[in-house]
Amino acid sequence: MKRLQENRIELLSNYLKKNGLSPELLPEILDHLACEAEERLWDGDSFERAFSGIVETADPDTLQILSVEHNHLLAMEKTLNDIVFEGRNKSYGAYQLRKGYNSTMQRSVLLGVTFFLLIMLLPNLYARLVPEPEIDDIGFEVKLTTVDIKPDVTPPPPVPVEPPKAEPQPSTKKFVSYDVLPDDMVMEEAVPPTIEDLQHALPGQETVEGISDIMDIAPPAAEAPAGKGRVIEAKTTEEETFIAVEQAPAYAGGNAAMAEFLRKNLKYPTQASRANIQGRVFVSFIVGSDGKIEDVHTLKGIGFGCDEEAERVIKLMPNWKAGRQSGNPVRVRFNLPIVFQID
Amino acid sequence: MDTNTTSNEYVRGTLKTIVLNLLAEEKRMYGYEITQEVKERTGGAIALTFGALYPVLHKLEQEGLLVTESVEVDGRLRKYYSLTTPGNEAARAKTNDLERFVDAIRLLLAPKIMATE
Repeated sequence: MKRLQENRIELLSNYLKKNGLSPELLPEILDHLACEAEERLWDGDSFERAFSGIVETADPDTLQILSVEHNHLLAMEKTLNDIVFEGRNKSYGAYQLRKGYNSTMQRSVLLGVTFFLLIMLLPNLYARLVPEPEIDDIGFEVKLTTVDIKPDVTPPPPVPVEPPKAEPQPSTKKFVSYDVLPDDMVMEEAVPPTIEDLQHALPGQETVEGISDIMDIAPPAAEAPAGKGRVIEAKTTEEETFIAVEQAPAYAGGNAAMAEFLRKNLKYPTQASRANIQGRVFVSFIVGSDGKIEDVHTLKGIGFGCDEEAERVIKLMPNWKAGRQSGNPVRVRFNLPIVFQID
Repeated sequence: MDTNTTSNEYVRGTLKTIVLNLLAEEKRMYGYEITQEVKERTGGAIALTFGALYPVLHKLEQEGLLVTESVEVDGRLRKYYSLTTPGNEAARAKTNDLERFVDAIRLLLAPKIMATE
């Protein structure tokens, strides 16, 4: 087979280019025409005749139609992006972004919807996975109901008030106070009872024959007020402890006796004497309404056994004279300094 | 030349089928080879012009029935065409269609011949 020389191929190529064949089609058509030319040369034609023959088949009109048809075909394939980016730098990145826009959008919408649904269904899912608490559990729901509370105060049945019994009355003798009157106006019968009369009777408003043995004077029983049959017992409240009272409690026998008592009973702790400790121990205690000493403790001590010794001696003390508030004996807290001094 | 133009008229409608059918047999062909093959098989009765052939090849390629591969031969790029799987099916279907059509045409033409005989 005869090969077409380079310059002749060039000639064909130029002819095709000159007639406006699209560059994409050029190699294929060139190959086709070259093959045809070679075939003709093989048949013994000269190149000039072969070339004219080719030009006859591949006339400018045919090439033109071929190019246009090819462009139409390509145009069908082209998208808007291809048209926008025609002749521009496609490797810059924007073309890739635009080309992948649809798939990116699809993916992101799918992901977004999935994520949103997941968030929305999470509480539901959690409720499904975590079992509901049993009634027996420590924490459970309690339904609140409004309860209409009515005070069920039924008045207590009235206590029948017993009529006061006629108590045994002591025999009394009429004893009248006398007015000072002139002699002629003094009534005869109004003679005061004699001592003999009052031996077995009490002086009274009237002269009553009663039991002569009872000599006690009983006050007439106060009638219980009607309707209030209940006896309200006074509560025995705990005694109040006073700090300061009108009449302070005191050692029975006075301060001198207390000093004597302390001197007799207080022993200087060896520990303190060895350490050469001296000073005052403030002891606080309560003098009860009966004078008894209780709740002994040290307020401010000097240590070295002195505090304990002071407390011991205070506890040893006999009953005090109780403090008085408006005449009544009361509990009083009393602070006493005990002096420890090395002679 | 006159017979050629009349044959071209029919060829235009069947060109797709012809190309697909040829490729189904030969597996891999380039443009000029197809024209030569057609010319040889039909004894020159049907001559494909490259102006008609290439648009059809490009269209089939775009439709996905053909795939191309470029091979450099003698310093020139030669584009070989071969069928894809859907191309194979299309070739079979189109060939069947054409055969049925030819039969129908034959039937259409036959009575006349019978009548004259």
